Parts: sequence; C-alpha cells; structure tokens
Amino acid sequence: MRNPFVMECGEFRASYKEDMALYKIPRVRYRVYAIIAFFAVFPLIFPEYYVGLATLCGIAAIGAIGLNILTGFTGLISIGVGAFLGVGGYTSAILTTKLGLSFWISFPLAGIVTAAVGALFGIPSLRLKGLYLAMATLAAQVIILFVISHWDSLTGGTAGMVLQRPSIGGYMLSSETGYYYLMFVILIFTAIFAMNLFRSRTGRAFVAVRDRDLAAEVMGINLFKYKVLAFAVSSFFVGIAGALLGHYTMIVSPELYSIQVSIEYLAMILVGGLGSVMGSIYGAVFITLLPVVLRGLIETLSVFMPGLEGVFAGLREVVFGAIIILFLIYEPEGLAKMWRNLKDYFKLWPFSY
Amino acid sequence: MKNNIKKPGLILACLILLMGILAGCGSSSDTAGGSSDQNQGSSSAEGEFKGTVKVGGLFDITGATGDVGEPYARGEEAFVEYINSKGGVNGYKIELIGEDYGYKIPEAQKLYTRFKSKEKVSAILGWGTGDTEALRQQVAADKIPFFSASYSENLKNIEESPYNFLTAASYSDQARSVLKWIKDNHEGGTPKVALIYNDTPFGKSPIEDAKNFAAEIGVDIVDEQIVDLKALDATSQLLNMKKKNPDYAIIQETWGATATILKDAKKLGIETQFIGLNWATGEGLIPLAQDAAEGFIGVVTHAFPYEDLPGMAEVKEYLESKGETLESKDQKFIQGWVTAKILAEGIRLAGDDLSGEGIRKGIEQIQNLDLGGLAAPVTFGPDDHAGTNQIRLARVENGKFEVFTDYIGY
Repeated sequence: MRNPFVMECGEFRASYKEDMALYKIPRVRYRVYAIIAFFAVFPLIFPEYYVGLATLCGIAAIGAIGLNILTGFTGLISIGVGAFLGVGGYTSAILTTKLGLSFWISFPLAGIVTAAVGALFGIPSLRLKGLYLAMATLAAQVIILFVISHWDSLTGGTAGMVLQRPSIGGYMLSSETGYYYLMFVILIFTAIFAMNLFRSRTGRAFVAVRDRDLAAEVMGINLFKYKVLAFAVSSFFVGIAGALLGHYTMIVSPELYSIQVSIEYLAMILVGGLGSVMGSIYGAVFITLLPVVLRGLIETLSVFMPGLEGVFAGLREVVFGAIIILFLIYEPEGLAKMWRNLKDYFKLWPFSY
Repeated sequence: MKNNIKKPGLILACLILLMGILAGCGSSSDTAGGSSDQNQGSSSAEGEFKGTVKVGGLFDITGATGDVGEPYARGEEAFVEYINSKGGVNGYKIELIGEDYGYKIPEAQKLYTRFKSKEKVSAILGWGTGDTEALRQQVAADKIPFFSASYSENLKNIEESPYNFLTAASYSDQARSVLKWIKDNHEGGTPKVALIYNDTPFGKSPIEDAKNFAAEIGVDIVDEQIVDLKALDATSQLLNMKKKNPDYAIIQETWGATATILKDAKKLGIETQFIGLNWATGEGLIPLAQDAAEGFIGVVTHAFPYEDLPGMAEVKEYLESKGETLESKDQKFIQGWVTAKILAEGIRLAGDDLSGEGIRKGIEQIQNLDLGGLAAPVTFGPDDHAGTNQIRLARVENGKFEVFTDYIGY
C-alpha cells in the first residue's frame, strides 16, 4: 500500500510561479481549504460558548502574529504588547465615541495609530539589543499605561471607556456568531499577509536582521529603516487585535492592558514557535485554552477524588510555568515544530532512516 | 542524538493532545459534578424544589487579592447552601456555579462567556474592580444582574451600568461619610485632612469626590500622597505629609499598604489620626501592623463575626451545622454572606420571572432590607442601584476592631 503520508514524491515545479506557491502540493492546498471551511461553519455546529472561546483565541492569534513578526522574525524582543493592545483599543474607543466615526473607519485607523506609536518606541532598537531592548519596551508599557490612566479628558482615566459592537448594513454584530465571523475574516487576512510578507524583500530583510544584523547591514539593508518598519508592522496587527478585543468586551480600561498581558503574549509565541505564522495561531489557542482545559480536567477528576479542586486551584500557575519550561527545554521551536516533527515521522514511517 | 531529543517532544505532543481530548469530554460533565457537590447538604429537600436559579460566581481564591477573596467567596457559598437547606427561595433552589479566576481579567472574560452561554445564569456574583469594570457593558447587553465587592462610584451611573448593583456604600460615599464625621467631631478650627491612595482604578476612585465634598462642607484637604498597593516603605511620602501636619489622613489601600503606612507613621512619630476605608479595615490588618494599628480607625461596611447582632444567629446556625464556629470566620466571610443574601432577596421579589431582567426588577423592589445589623439596610430603585451610603466606624483597641458609631451617612 502506498504510504498515505508521502505526497512529495514525483513532484516537479515547472515555473517560478509554482515554486513560489504558499502551498506547493495540491493535497496540502485542499487540506488548508478544508480547515478554513471547517472554521467557517464552526459557529453553526458548535454551541455559543465554544464560539465565544474561539473568538477570544482568534483575537489573541491576530495579536500573536503581530508580535511574532517583531520578535520571531526580526529578532527584536518586545514586552510592551499589552500597552500596544491598549493603544489600539483606546484609539478605536476615542474615534467611535468622541468623534462619532464608524467602526469600519476607526478600526484600520486604530491599527495605523498603534503602528505609529510602535514605530516611535522602536527607534531605540537601532542601538539596543536583547535585554536592553526588553527594558526599553518595558518603558513603553509603563509610559503608555501611565498616559492612558492619567489623561482623564481623553481616555476617561481609570474608569475606562464604553464602546459599541460594530454594525454592518444595519445588522449589529452583537451575537457571538456575528463577531466570530468578523474576527475570522481579519485573522485570515492577517495570516495571509504575514505569510506573504516573508516571501517579499521586506520580510527577507527582517529575517536577515534577526540572523545577524551586522551582516545584513553589510549586504545593504538599511537597519534603522527595517527595524522601525518591523515595529510598525507588528504594532499595526497588535493594535487591530486591541481594537477587536475592545469592541468585543465593549469596554476599555487600563486594568485590561497590564504587563501580565504582555507576558501572556510572549508565552504564546514561545509555545507556538518563534518565527512561524501558524505557530502563533497554535500558541494563541494553546495559551488561551490552557486554563479552560485545566479547569475542565480538574473538575472531571474531582468527581472521582473529592477535595482535589482546592489543591489544584493553586497548581494552575505551576502548570503554566512548567509548560513554558518544558517547551524551552524540549522544543524551543514550539508547537509548529512539533507538528512538523510529527509529519516527518509519519513520512518516513516505518523506515525512519 | 538528535532523534533522542525529538522523541520526548513527540511524547509531549501526544500528552497534550490527550489532555485536550480528556478536557473536551470533561467540560461537558462538569456541571453535573459541580452541582452534585452542592446537593449533598440539602439532598433531603431535593424533591421539593420547583426549579433551579443558576447564579455565576467569579471568585478570587489564588490571585492577587486571594487573601480577602477566599473568605468572601466562602461566605457566598455558605449562604447559598444555607438558604437551600431552608427550602430555597420561593421554592426555587439557588445553584451557585463559582469559579476561581485568579484576579485575571482575560480569565474572567472566559468564565463570563461560559456563565452566559453554557450555564445560562440569571445573575452573577463578581469580585474585583477589574472584572466588574471589564464586564459591566456585557452584563448590560446580556441583561444579567451583577453584584461585586467593588464599590466604585462609576457603577452608580445607571445609564452606563444598568445591571450593576452596589450592595454597600461606594468608596466615594465612604469617604464622604468619614469627612462628615471628621467635620462633626473635630474640635478647634478647620480640620486638615490628607488623602493617601494608590495609583489604580481602585485607589483613585473616591479621590475627586472626596475633594469636592470636603470643599463643600469646609474641610481642608491639605495633602495627597500616593503609596503603591505593594509598598513596603512609605517613609518619604509620610515625611512629605508631615510637613503639612494634617489632623487626619484617609487611607484608600488594602491591608498590606495600610500596615506599611501605620508602621512607618509610628516610626516617624506622626500624630495624625489615620482612617482607612473598607478594604483597609479588617482582621488581617492587625497581625501585619501589630501595635502600630492601635488607635487606627476603619470604615466598617459589614459586621465582624464577634459582634453580638441579631443577623449573626443564622450564620451561627449554619456554621454549627457544619461543625464550625464563628471565631474561625472573618469579616469578609460575613460580607460574602450578606451579598448573597441581598441577591436572594432580589430573586424572592422577582417571583416566578427568573430571567436576568426579572431579577433586576426584583432587586429594584428591595426597600430597606433589614440585614440584622450585618450591614446597613439596603434600598434599590429603578434609577438607584446604590444600596446605601451608610457605614460604621471602628477603632483598634487592644488588637481588636471595636465599633464605636452607629450606621452613619452624610
């Protein structure tokens, strides 16, 4: 019998177009279409609760792709993601409530404003690397949150601001399903954009900067331009995720954008896989669902072992930490690499060598 | 060698997938698991209930405010168990689906989605400022009444938060009542007051209102100092404050920072009378501040378990049925108990319309609900969701809070 996992035999590329294709094998392409189709009908099959969770995962995935462009592909660490989400959320809140703009205008503007703010805080990245850059972006986190919670006349201070769900042609996206589709379309756009970005000159320049910035500069890449550009592109998507989240929860307040959020996003790309677009999505889903899954697991177990719940409540943080350490030790390239390993394993099965 | 590294990765991947599958199955059966636990206390009355009212609970057991969040959550659970053992409310059993969210807002958001979509709860008992703020628009859209232990003034705004209720005096009202008390009891000239708070929504909540009210009644606010919630040193702030020599200082902090302030004030020999709002007050402050707490005045919104009050009888009855004593409980337990009790009263007045809207109408009918002294009587109305503005004051004497006023307002 033909090994069902082997599909790269006898594959020839006759044109540059075929060589550049995102998915080079027809079967893989069909699989991608099938996955997209599945998630397109997802809210019609599953109950509202799962649709709500999927929406949160998707929004996190958009932000994680944004962060991965910066940290995973360009090698510039940022712990200011939480605050950049806040910039996106607040921009959209201010534009829709104070200026009365429609969501469809304020939403891309939120991305652009966040991109500008991100680029501004990205300027020190020319001189700073590694830990030093981490401190500089930490400063961004602190400064932005301080501005948000003290500029009372614009942001409503610590009380936050109230937003509305967007409407499309008179139809309010107030249901979980409606918002899911909004998120879904934007997530697909983001993923396709990011995948294509790294087939372009700009994306390759990003990767060159990550691998060795001196060498990149010698090859004629304008370091300053591309580092700031990476901050801008990354922040654009983070800002878009922030605006989506703001309109989903219908409130923005400084409490929602703390440093914990930044760390959670870093954990997402770490667990998912640095420098992988699909990895960002896996990681976002993993980190978002981890507490939900653990809670479910504990509740199932406590039926058999009463009293377990109290013990496990404190253990959740431990599991979270342990998973990150395990990933760092055993699979630093994250879930994306695990998936590749799994495919490679079956490709060669049963003769591994 | 390389292959050796790959295999644990594979095993890990399989384990994680397995965990996902297990939990996927698990989450569908968790409601059954949760409710069967709670049924045990009232299994004899099982057949007599007309139906069930589901109430969601956002608890902080493991998070940053777990020290006070845990007894509060236990108090809510205890009351629900107690009322069910008494035959429920109007013949309906209350089912409290409580979950720990670890004081994390994304977690609260996920739990909220679950409460709304999966459990279809009719009301929610929340906890902190963060989750209450984050959810207030959503509970309004989904029409689910929301009680929490955050007494922030902006929840009073009925236009913006039509489904939030304040079950005790808001931070602003507490500060106003304290200022009024200072004005009434101060001897010799205009009282000088300092404000000490932290730079968070919780800390800044009463400040503007307190300043406006002070100007209105003729109390001088001479100084403002910011002390972080986790501060272990407040010397520089207190030295700055000392220069203005205030007669009183109002503290809006939790126990940790309050204890720091009191200890540093004692070290520096500051004579100012410190007055803390409700989260600065409580049994937990005394071991932290020790003898520096002597003479400290605290705002008491809910009774201490050692007080002799008519409302304490049912708490005692419940605890004795569990083989526990009042001595092992603290004020936050009573606070949780009272909050759940007010909600139960709202459900009772809602009659048979147990939707979120019905319960909101029920709560709005509550008039002067007597809580047996456990807290100030509460009254709600269609355009007033602040239950009360009444507080009591207690002074620390010999390592114990002794209440020395009746319920006072402004």
